[in-house]
Amino acid sequence: MSETYADYGEEQGTFGGVLLVAISILSGILVLAGLLYAAGTSARHKTALAVNNCEPSMSPSGIPCNTQQMVIGEYNGIVNPASKLLAADMAAYNVNEGHHLAAAEAALSSEVATEQALDNSLAAVAYTPQNYGNAITLITLAFDAGTNTPGAAILLTPQATAIANVAVRDNQALAKLTAQQARSTSLIQLRSFNTRVEADTVAVQAEMKLIGKTLTAPITAAQEP
Amino acid sequence: MATTRGPRYSPAPPTAPYGSPGTYQPDVYPDDSVGTWNGEEQSAVGYQPQRQTEPERTRRSRLDEWMDRDFKFGGSHIKRKAVALILLGAPAVLPLFFMAPAFFTMNEPTFAGSVDDTLGTGAELCLFICLLITPMVTLTGQRWFVPLRRWYGILFACSGFGDMLAAGLTDNFAGGFFGRVAGHVFELMGFMMVMLAIPLLITGNHWAQRKLGKYWKRLQRLTYVIWGLLFFHLALLEGLGFQNGTTHNGSGNPGDGDPIFHQRLYQYAACSLFLLTLRLPPIKRWIAARQAEGRNWLVWVTIAPIFALFIFGMIFAVNEEIFKGFNSFMEHPSAE
Repeated sequence: MSETYADYGEEQGTFGGVLLVAISILSGILVLAGLLYAAGTSARHKTALAVNNCEPSMSPSGIPCNTQQMVIGEYNGIVNPASKLLAADMAAYNVNEGHHLAAAEAALSSEVATEQALDNSLAAVAYTPQNYGNAITLITLAFDAGTNTPGAAILLTPQATAIANVAVRDNQALAKLTAQQARSTSLIQLRSFNTRVEADTVAVQAEMKLIGKTLTAPITAAQEP
Repeated sequence: MATTRGPRYSPAPPTAPYGSPGTYQPDVYPDDSVGTWNGEEQSAVGYQPQRQTEPERTRRSRLDEWMDRDFKFGGSHIKRKAVALILLGAPAVLPLFFMAPAFFTMNEPTFAGSVDDTLGTGAELCLFICLLITPMVTLTGQRWFVPLRRWYGILFACSGFGDMLAAGLTDNFAGGFFGRVAGHVFELMGFMMVMLAIPLLITGNHWAQRKLGKYWKRLQRLTYVIWGLLFFHLALLEGLGFQNGTTHNGSGNPGDGDPIFHQRLYQYAACSLFLLTLRLPPIKRWIAARQAEGRNWLVWVTIAPIFALFIFGMIFAVNEEIFKGFNSFMEHPSAE
């Protein structure tokens, strides 16, 4: 190549032109890829919304509540007040079970109401079959894509859902037993339920603790399908 | 004929036409080798007389001249350029404005929750706009907006410094103030950026420019080091962009279906490609040659996809700034 030709190329910035066109093509491809990816935004957004029962109006930009902290907060918001009410009712029952039938039965009736409210709240908020299905879908998609499991699925893993289902079922049984106890006609009959009620209460408390632990713990490979 | 191939916006200097073999001058666009935030401004006393050459003065676009004219407003004469610069420069103070209520009420949860997003993203945007000035001069041949570089540079330093200060005071990392601002590698990168920005901020004035002479420009090249450190800061902050998979990747946990677009590192890359490309000497030579031929349209057509990518990146960074900034302003920091 002659020097003159090389100088001409330098003058015209030929190399710069080729370089610019190459970068431009790369940029064009990236922009197109971005637009194609953006086309799936709506579907991804809907999935994210469905997973945690979030409303688009919860934030100025429509970004839903999809964080681990928020769902844990939601769970604690249900369980903690119920635990305090139950503790107060149980203390009232313990004070009255030996000598004041009406007061003990009132405490038990209050316990029943709290347990039923807790069941309804847990069943309605987080552990619906739809959420269970969403969790499995998210985990399966992440597994197929070879990526980490998304946080939303961590909150609703089949394991957590299964534990929650058992806890709700056992709590319903406890509420039923407590209601029977509240219908006792004598103090002796009232106290005869104590052993069974305590055993059921311990089981439900253990299950609740396990749910809390499952929600806060990061997912492991063993939990993935 | 040279007269028929003259550039549309920026006529070539008669003594050194664009593209003549061996005559390429790095400073054919003043300061084109450096993206400093102050380099192209003339001081009030006309410092840097070497830039006051006749060809330099004649290379003014019609818009530059239009911007230099006054208009009458309320009995006083105001330069059009001044109004345009105020309007274009106003967004630079938004990050600090968003954090002002939390600062005045000493709202620690807001600082701890979102100051890094509000001021950090704000500083990043200011840096990008600061770095955008030179490419825009290259593309348009206009210079009226050059003072914005200094302004956005100053606000970059202020936002970055505020971010570092708040992180040192409110973060949960161990090791006291210094441990909180430099205890992790990504924080160390941010800390170094702020430390490098301090001399730039101090010397970002005409007095320092006069005193430092030729060394001033070299010092201002630290901007490029800051730009590079920002890559490492963001890369380490979010695991090179893929540590959390494709669903929850990005800025916090957006959940709006666009996790990739919220990834700061990708925004940085999208924006930086344009800013870097327009600084490469071979590309600048090509652009100068096309402009000398009066084919500036070809430059714009070729550059359009790169500019589109830049806008793509900027849109999501601006979105993040507005969303997080609004939450900070309301003192309800975003949990994302």
